[in-house]
Amino acid sequence: MTDLASNDRWFSRLNTLLLILAGIIVITPTAWMVLSSFKQSFEVTAYPPTLFFSPTLDNYRSLSDTTPFPQYALNSMIVTVGSTSLGLLLGAPAAFVASWTRITWPAVVTLVARMAPGTLFLLPWYLMFRQFDMIGSYWALILTHAVITMPIVIWVLLPFFDNIPRSVYEAAQVDGCSPFRIFYRIALPLVSSGLAVSAILAFVFSWNYFLFSLVLSNSDTKTLIAASFNFIGEGSTNWGGLMAAATLIALPPLILATIVQRWLISGLTLGAVKG
Amino acid sequence: MSKSISLRGQMAAMSAPSVIFTVGMIAFPFFYTIWLSFQTMSATGTIRYTGAANYVRMVSDDQFWNGLTITAALYFLSLVMQLICGTALALLLFRAKKLPGIVRSLFISPFMMPPVVAGMMWLVILDPSLGAANYILTSFGLPPSEWLASPGFVVPTLALIDTWQWTPYVALIVLGGLQSLPPSVYEAAEIDGASKFKTLYRITLPLLLPTLVTAAVLRSVDLLRFFDLIYITTQGGPANASSTLNIYGFRTGFEFFQLGYASALMVTLSVIVFGAVLVLNRLRTAVAW
Repeated sequence: MTDLASNDRWFSRLNTLLLILAGIIVITPTAWMVLSSFKQSFEVTAYPPTLFFSPTLDNYRSLSDTTPFPQYALNSMIVTVGSTSLGLLLGAPAAFVASWTRITWPAVVTLVARMAPGTLFLLPWYLMFRQFDMIGSYWALILTHAVITMPIVIWVLLPFFDNIPRSVYEAAQVDGCSPFRIFYRIALPLVSSGLAVSAILAFVFSWNYFLFSLVLSNSDTKTLIAASFNFIGEGSTNWGGLMAAATLIALPPLILATIVQRWLISGLTLGAVKG
Repeated sequence: MSKSISLRGQMAAMSAPSVIFTVGMIAFPFFYTIWLSFQTMSATGTIRYTGAANYVRMVSDDQFWNGLTITAALYFLSLVMQLICGTALALLLFRAKKLPGIVRSLFISPFMMPPVVAGMMWLVILDPSLGAANYILTSFGLPPSEWLASPGFVVPTLALIDTWQWTPYVALIVLGGLQSLPPSVYEAAEIDGASKFKTLYRITLPLLLPTLVTAAVLRSVDLLRFFDLIYITTQGGPANASSTLNIYGFRTGFEFFQLGYASALMVTLSVIVFGAVLVLNRLRTAVAW
């Protein structure tokens, strides 16, 4: 019996050790990126690479001098906030109706957008927006990014709406409440945490999305993610600046993801997995 | 009577914006691309119906077959690595029981960062001459690698990066599956004196199969249309060695402006993605318990 117990203890020690090792593998590349962003330009390309150095903020400071970084950041903000709001505006009532009527096929149709390669929609969008002279406009980017955000909002909110007992709706109906009133007076407040989760996930996915703004933006409306492509071209000589840009671009999604980590997996898998 | 009409009317009014948006931004472009795949655009910009010519052209297009091969290689390599590493990591996390929030944040950081940032970061780490990866290799006496710059090694390298990024995601999905398994089966196995490995192979893994297939479905959708990381790091190079179908289709459309042929490529890729999802979903019902 004691043998088994000590066996068990060794097992859980090994478990902890392997877990730490996995953690190190996961975090090292990111840590290297952040570390490199604080290195002087001569040090960041030093070979052998250095682990200890006197940190500097030069790379961050020079970002706004050498690139239109603040403008790109503003563009990213406009497109992301715009498409997240649009996604909520379209998706929240749609999820409510789908949950109330139990008619979910329209929601399933939006999954096509989630599964098909973005390039499938990009050609017609390009022709459409060119027709309306909207290439390079914020609206083209907000509308296309809403194709990402709306399905997220619908599928994250559906289980939240489903959790509201039907008796709540019935009681409200008896009191003469119209469905529209029930939606914004009763249902929406009850799913407020779902709204927050869906908004944050939509924000992260819109922020991270590369392809649409690569094609549909111009130099004035380019998002940070699309501009990264240019940073790399210029960054071949300036790794410090490149890593500073990469760190700043990754910061908003990482902070937001930490806030919603409890709902992250069920949200990301669109309800396929309860995490 | 009038009440039920107003109920229906209000329901319709509330879903109308999303339906209009879905029709305009998703359904219409979807069918337009299918239509476009049967057309050819001439140099003067006029569009002409050419039947299945674009699809026929695909059959004899080496670049298409190259793209298909690379897509398949990248898909299977990444999926297998992520499922194996993800399951292993999930088992470790499950045994550790309590997870501090900071550890969870650490594990979600790779897949919540933009793939584009992951690309920038790995470009620097894997730089053939000054990168940290080659320094580590050579300091262990191993030969340095060209990584993303090597035509022979670019696909495994991309698969490795994607595995680094998405293994924790698979792990958290599998962890959810592990936590939902009934504890009674473990207790029964323990009473029967089953060893740890026997319990794992005979009980845990078979019960986990539906979760694993779910993870495979979710990863398949992303892996088959692999784009961001490749476009940022290699743009399909060197020498088209990482030119997946998605990359090839994109370049055909937006670099060479062959809209008809690009549409045919995109439709083909979509059929592959939807086909994989359907097959895996079938598999999921088959292994459900």
